[in-house]
Amino acid sequence: MKLQITMKNLSLLLSITLSVIILMSFTNKNKAVKTYELSEVNYTVPNDVQEIINNSCYGCHNSDSKSKKGKMKLNFDKMSTMKVGKRVGKLNKIHGVVEENDMPPKKFLKKYPEKALNEEDSKKLASWAIEMASQYINE
Amino acid sequence: MIKKLTILLLIGFLILQFFGPELPEVINKNPKDLITNNPDIPEDIKTILQVSCYDCHSNETTYPWYSNIAPVSFLVARDINHARDDLNFSNWEDMNKLDKASALDEITDVIIDDEMPMAIYTAMHRGASLSDQQKELLVSWTEEFSDQMFD
Repeated sequence: MKLQITMKNLSLLLSITLSVIILMSFTNKNKAVKTYELSEVNYTVPNDVQEIINNSCYGCHNSDSKSKKGKMKLNFDKMSTMKVGKRVGKLNKIHGVVEENDMPPKKFLKKYPEKALNEEDSKKLASWAIEMASQYINE
Repeated sequence: MIKKLTILLLIGFLILQFFGPELPEVINKNPKDLITNNPDIPEDIKTILQVSCYDCHSNETTYPWYSNIAPVSFLVARDINHARDDLNFSNWEDMNKLDKASALDEITDVIIDDEMPMAIYTAMHRGASLSDQQKELLVSWTEEFSDQMFD
């Protein structure tokens, strides 16, 4: 089969080139590296944190959620029963996305601005998550 | 008219070759590597990681010939930089336990969600596609491996 230089081939090449250039925008995120000490090992949610979760997170991150992705990535109904490794992973991620303001999603907040985390709630939730996760570290 | 445009585009394509990106560096000896430091990882898991993940998520990339040709090179460079930034198995032991646990949990998510390996990658690397059985193996390994850290 001979590859012919046709208008079609070339416009394809040009469109690929153009799409690549358009796709060239990218973002870099740096993750902070920290270590924490062991205290007690358990999973508890204080009332004030539970309230924040109920208002801003639980709507998507529960067993009956309509958001398949939200449920798969984090299901608060399963947090107390999942294996420790998995729970630590989830808690550390909660800390990360809350600190980075990645959750609740911006698109979602446009529709439901009352679900946004204010600065105080953000801090409370993030520090609860990292404290919960850190208690499993014993070194 | 068509002839002119054709020649112009060809010249553009040739000029583009001089402005191609530098592909991310290949380093084959990585003392902080996941597999190097965890000889107990089962062989089938090592194989899955090396065949389906390591090309982008480690410093041990094997570049196909076309990855040097612009505009493909832009895509390859961008994807690999992004991939290594998100998770680089070559630097595994530099992570703390919490970040390792999150990374392992993220692996589960992207495998279940069929986000990884990326379709554009498996289209060119047929052997990198994961069977349902391999996916199950990988997911249960990530959970076990993560749990072991907190024994």
